[in-house]
Amino acid sequence: MNKAFNSMRHARLVAALVLANQAVAQPTVAPTPETAGSPRGDNWGEYNITNSWEIGYRFHSVDGNTGKYRSDVNFGNGVRLLGGSLGVHSRNGRGKLFDELLLDVQGIGNDPYQLSSFRLQKNSLYRYDLLWRSNEYFNPSLTVAGGNHLLATNRQLQDHDFTLLPQSKARLRIGFSNNGQNGAGLWTGQWFDTRGDEYTYLADLRRTQREYRIGGDLEWRRVKLSVTRGWESFKDDTRFGRPLLAAGANLVDRNTLTSFRRDEPVRGRTPYWRVHLHSEAAASFTVQGRLTHSDGQRDFVFDEFAQGTDRLGSERNRQVLLSGRGRRPVTTGHLTFSWRPSPQWTLTNQTGYYKSRMDGEGRYSELNNGNTGLTLVSFQSLGIRTISNTSDASWQPQKWVGVFGNYHFSERWIQSTELLEVELPSGSKPNEQVNRMHSGTGGVRLQPVKPLRISFSAEAGRNDKPFYPTSDKDFHALNARAQYRLAKYNISADYRSFNNSNSTSLFVHSSVGRSWSANGGWTPRAGVQLDAGYSYIHLDTLTGLAYFANFAQVDGDRSYYVSNLHTIHAGIQVRAKKRVDIYGGFVRTQDRGDGRSVANQPARPEFLLNPATVSQFAGVQVFPVSYQSPLFRLSVVLHRNLRWNAGWQYYDYTEKFLKLQDYTAHTGYVSLSYSF
Amino acid sequence: MGPAQSALPLIFVLLIGLTTALRAQPPARSNSVNGFAGSNVCRTCHPNVALQFFRNPHNKSSVLPGVSLENAGCEGCHGPGKKHVDAKGGKESIVAFSDLPAGGILDACLRCHSKDANRANIRRSSHSQADVACTSCHSIHQPESNRSLLAKRQAEVCYGCHNDVRAQFAQTSKHRVNEGFMTCSDCHNPHGANSPSWKMGRRPLMVDTSLQNEQPCLKCHTDKRGPFLYEHAAVRVDGCESCHSPHGSMNARLLKRPIVFTVCLECHNGAGSFGRQSNGVTIQSASHNMADPRFRNCTTCHIRIHGSNADRTFLR
Repeated sequence: MNKAFNSMRHARLVAALVLANQAVAQPTVAPTPETAGSPRGDNWGEYNITNSWEIGYRFHSVDGNTGKYRSDVNFGNGVRLLGGSLGVHSRNGRGKLFDELLLDVQGIGNDPYQLSSFRLQKNSLYRYDLLWRSNEYFNPSLTVAGGNHLLATNRQLQDHDFTLLPQSKARLRIGFSNNGQNGAGLWTGQWFDTRGDEYTYLADLRRTQREYRIGGDLEWRRVKLSVTRGWESFKDDTRFGRPLLAAGANLVDRNTLTSFRRDEPVRGRTPYWRVHLHSEAAASFTVQGRLTHSDGQRDFVFDEFAQGTDRLGSERNRQVLLSGRGRRPVTTGHLTFSWRPSPQWTLTNQTGYYKSRMDGEGRYSELNNGNTGLTLVSFQSLGIRTISNTSDASWQPQKWVGVFGNYHFSERWIQSTELLEVELPSGSKPNEQVNRMHSGTGGVRLQPVKPLRISFSAEAGRNDKPFYPTSDKDFHALNARAQYRLAKYNISADYRSFNNSNSTSLFVHSSVGRSWSANGGWTPRAGVQLDAGYSYIHLDTLTGLAYFANFAQVDGDRSYYVSNLHTIHAGIQVRAKKRVDIYGGFVRTQDRGDGRSVANQPARPEFLLNPATVSQFAGVQVFPVSYQSPLFRLSVVLHRNLRWNAGWQYYDYTEKFLKLQDYTAHTGYVSLSYSF
Repeated sequence: MGPAQSALPLIFVLLIGLTTALRAQPPARSNSVNGFAGSNVCRTCHPNVALQFFRNPHNKSSVLPGVSLENAGCEGCHGPGKKHVDAKGGKESIVAFSDLPAGGILDACLRCHSKDANRANIRRSSHSQADVACTSCHSIHQPESNRSLLAKRQAEVCYGCHNDVRAQFAQTSKHRVNEGFMTCSDCHNPHGANSPSWKMGRRPLMVDTSLQNEQPCLKCHTDKRGPFLYEHAAVRVDGCESCHSPHGSMNARLLKRPIVFTVCLECHNGAGSFGRQSNGVTIQSASHNMADPRFRNCTTCHIRIHGSNADRTFLR
């Protein structure tokens, strides 16, 4: 009996620690993590019910760049169902209609991040899962990107999955997903030639993707076979309005656009098969095979009419008609062997195969001032075939020490063709290339005492023909981690680095990335928890550039980008007399760049070989900025089933060079959490 | 409607019939091996666990018919309990997960959970190699949610070790993980992933794939999937990370650099044997004047940069 009492006491302590952990980790001020009502719930017939619903008012105020605030945070004003959860469980596991019902909601009402998840299941008969999400996305593309391409859209995602006989050796699965994006946008374009002026025009985005899937699982002795057949459909009916202004962004030319219409509907479908085979010939030997094939296809038409004057001042009207089809069949396969010859050894090998051939053709017609102009038949293809093999070994000779390593080899074949004005694609001569990569990793993990875990690994790799100047070529990576964890406190520290060098005779790309971080948490007693951490992420890349300036080609210039990102976070959670929960937290992120105080003052001018470009590009080598957000929250138990909550969060965004995007904002809320 | 689609009703009926027939089979005989005490005995000393266990997904093993003793209830995971009862408790007389090495925990859980496709790579995953076992993230008896039995909110579980990722998500522009709208597992498979179909099949590790085994980004950003008549090869060959930092960035479009033209020019410099034609990635034309700020926002004109059906230079 005494043991049982101690066990329950221990459980309450653990529960308190878990609750505190959730609270400290809360990244946004609302919803309140503490819930109303008893966690044990109430019995109702053969069921047990737990629930908590938080309804409140959210408010905000912004000073500075509201577009940037909406892009980063986007909380508004109004009444919300800030959070809610409902759990109904059959107590004996044999409910009449269901054994488990779970419902969780967040931000329902008008928050920019709304979601709801629902599960209904009856043991051994069925299980249904629903995940619904809605995001109000605002992105003005901001000053650093030219201020164009604004988006104010709503994206809704929903996934439905139904499983019949989920605990049986034969299962049937049916699923449906929907992904829609609708809303307003501002786009840019240029007319009447590729040197024409740029205009901003309106877009009414209407995109929908749907996926239907059906599949089944069969288990026989130690073999399991899963087959899924699916169909994806996509449609884009985005409509485009006329530009906001008849004159373009370039005020020195004579380009105007007085009339404009564009329609470009797209329809696509991707049927696919997925087959997965799992076999355990023995308890220590497992074979997994996976094969997928899909046929992607998009049909498109494009109809555009534009009227105005070109950059030389001549009157122009132009109509563009285009139709065609893009295709992409993809086949992939993976075969994995896992062998455990003894409890100390784990050996695995995976062979991967990927083959994709993207091709398509389109007929492009252009009428200029009513006369037939350019007519093109276009064709392109891009074929990729990758074969990879990775062998892993892990050996644990003693409980406190283990070593592991792997070797990876992959070969990628790329075939590419791009043609304009061709009669027959078969007449084309494709370009082919083969890339090979070898890499190896070795590491050790230690547990000298039970609470302390240390791991270290290193990787080196070579790619004989990287596809891009910035791709991985000669690279090496280091990872190290130490963690000390006890019931009341934990500390951890880790280090990562990734260095890559990719060079040719004229140009060099090298990147150096390093990160240090440390984190600690302390729970001095039940109901009090502190958590704090610091991270430092360094990145510097150096890349050769070539471009045109004032109609002259500039060779041998270099892009040198430096980022030194420091982040700290801290939080404290206090539960007083089982009635009041208080939380205070703080996060600060600061990119110090290379330490300079003026934009056009490169700290290392030797990396800009062409001094004439210093004034042009030095300012983009760094982006010093700071972003901080303290928050405070209070939650008071008014009754067993009722809580009163309030919170405040502050945001401060400051750029060092330009002040155009800076803002400060306050968000807050007041709410009641109720459990019936 | 293709022949495969027309055969769907038949497949459906066959599957229903087969599953019903299999379900009608008599339950397997209880494996009454000596040493098992039964879950009811455990309640005596562990009422806190037993009283709440009806909410736990593992409770099915206690209530469903046909589950053998070694897989049922408490002893399904903790092993035969008779010795533990006789000894009046103690970790040495039972399988205590807090005392098991990471490999032992993995072995214990995979006895039942090894067959799902998304755990096919768990033995070779980076987590297993670093001794991150199931109970490092999951709390069977004190979960934050009964849905996946995670010890805390998913992001917090991941941040617990990946401090640098927490810092990346603390930047101004990021995917909305901290806001609860997304989870890490929307893009990652913490149980280990197959070799990716991009970037030479090596990196990134532990990343899930979408419909056509592409980058997980395309699960949501469906308009970027194509196929397009003109593909931007960077997307297909080396993946979205060629240009984007998916966790967080100082650029509103999550670009790797704050200013767009540096991203473009670092590849489009015409050097070496890079690119799809093996003669260098195309340098910009002479009509571009980088001395004029107007030309430094590449995507103002190249608006279909992920792929276009109308223009090989992605202008429309």
